[in-house]
Amino acid sequence: MQERSEEEEMVTPGEILGKGTDLIPGKGAYLSRDNHNTVYASLTGRRSLIPPPPDSPDQRPIVEVIGHKAHGPVPEPGCVVIARVTKVMARMASADIMCVGSKSVREKFSGIIRQQDVRATEIDKVDMHTSFRPGDIVKASVISLGDARAYHLSTAQNELGVVSAESMAGGTMVPISWTEMQCPLTGQIEQRKVAKVGA
Amino acid sequence: MAAKGGGAPPTYSPSPSSFKKSRPSIFTDVDWVRPDGRDFHQCRPAFLRTGAVNAASGSAYAEFGNTKVIVSIFGPRESKKAMMYSDTGRLNCNVSYTTFATPVRGQASENKELSSQLHKSLEGAIILDTFPKTTVDVFALVLESGGCDLPVVISCASLALADAGIMMYDLVAAVSVSCLGKNLVIDPVSEEENYQDGSLMITCLPSRNEVTQLTITGEWSTPKIHEAMELCLDACSKLGKIMRSCLKESTSTS
Repeated sequence: MQERSEEEEMVTPGEILGKGTDLIPGKGAYLSRDNHNTVYASLTGRRSLIPPPPDSPDQRPIVEVIGHKAHGPVPEPGCVVIARVTKVMARMASADIMCVGSKSVREKFSGIIRQQDVRATEIDKVDMHTSFRPGDIVKASVISLGDARAYHLSTAQNELGVVSAESMAGGTMVPISWTEMQCPLTGQIEQRKVAKVGA
Repeated sequence: MAAKGGGAPPTYSPSPSSFKKSRPSIFTDVDWVRPDGRDFHQCRPAFLRTGAVNAASGSAYAEFGNTKVIVSIFGPRESKKAMMYSDTGRLNCNVSYTTFATPVRGQASENKELSSQLHKSLEGAIILDTFPKTTVDVFALVLESGGCDLPVVISCASLALADAGIMMYDLVAAVSVSCLGKNLVIDPVSEEENYQDGSLMITCLPSRNEVTQLTITGEWSTPKIHEAMELCLDACSKLGKIMRSCLKESTSTS
């Protein structure tokens, strides 16, 4: 059980937080490169100390700086993002990343979902048009930074996939199974790679 | 420079009267007073505020006497698609003058040079590995140019970066010194800058005691350079303290 103690005073970038022998730098702090071995802050915010877990060999507390202003998050490999599909092509779909975790981004980032990353089974038999349509909101995870143009996203897990979609008639569809969604206005069933939401 | 005799080819030579810049004799006098009444080694009082621009991720406004600068930071945001992939972040700086910034209407022409100098001084202070593949855009607008513009822009930009939450090794403080005859004058006004023999600008990280950029122009002797550098570094550390207290004040009241 880790309790972090947050201090009242603000620190600014370049301020000394402690010695490298007493503290491990966490997020918002760094260890200096010279031989003085001091931990400096790299953000403006409040200092917070996390005591080490009792069974780890290194008993130094971790010092972090919690930024005062939550600036827009940036997608990182391993995080779950919410994206809106913009284009669906034969072997990939491109999507605009709108939220990282639970925070919305200030300006959108581009991502692509390749055919082999749509689901975990039978990945070569995936038809992109029965998995996504333009305008769908999907929950995906970032596999890698990708290339200069887009992040690589994957929906190959049960909880990932289409979260909300509109039918051709214009109504918000209700998920029936992990491959189908139904429109409440017309009763039409459309195919999507649906995310498993809830317990 | 006397004009050449009749047999020489007609080359353009400046007329003798306009060759020597007519400096007011007060500048060469030992105990003259600076136009705004300051000491030779006294900087202008600084007014700094963060959070000036709501639309930007971070911003700052600085007023050093008559030099007024506003800097806004956008990012980290997606790099343009034309750029090549890079696994560290990128910094994009732009310095521009308003048309009413100088006494004569019309831009000061050193925009591109100022932008690249701002880039050089900031890139040593920002931890670029923390935002791979994205770009941080720095836009500086000089509202009024009252002398010593670039150091004010650099200090204001680093304050804005700290306000935006970009990870940095330290704040960047910049000060410049002008050499007027035998005198060293710190934080020159635009009048003093016009008549200077040389200028030296240092941008440094005050609490880590590291210099990110050193620019020397004009004629300098080595002992004068040493003296000017010490003056600048001392002024930078004082400016660093003022910047830190401004940051702490604005973040604790917001």
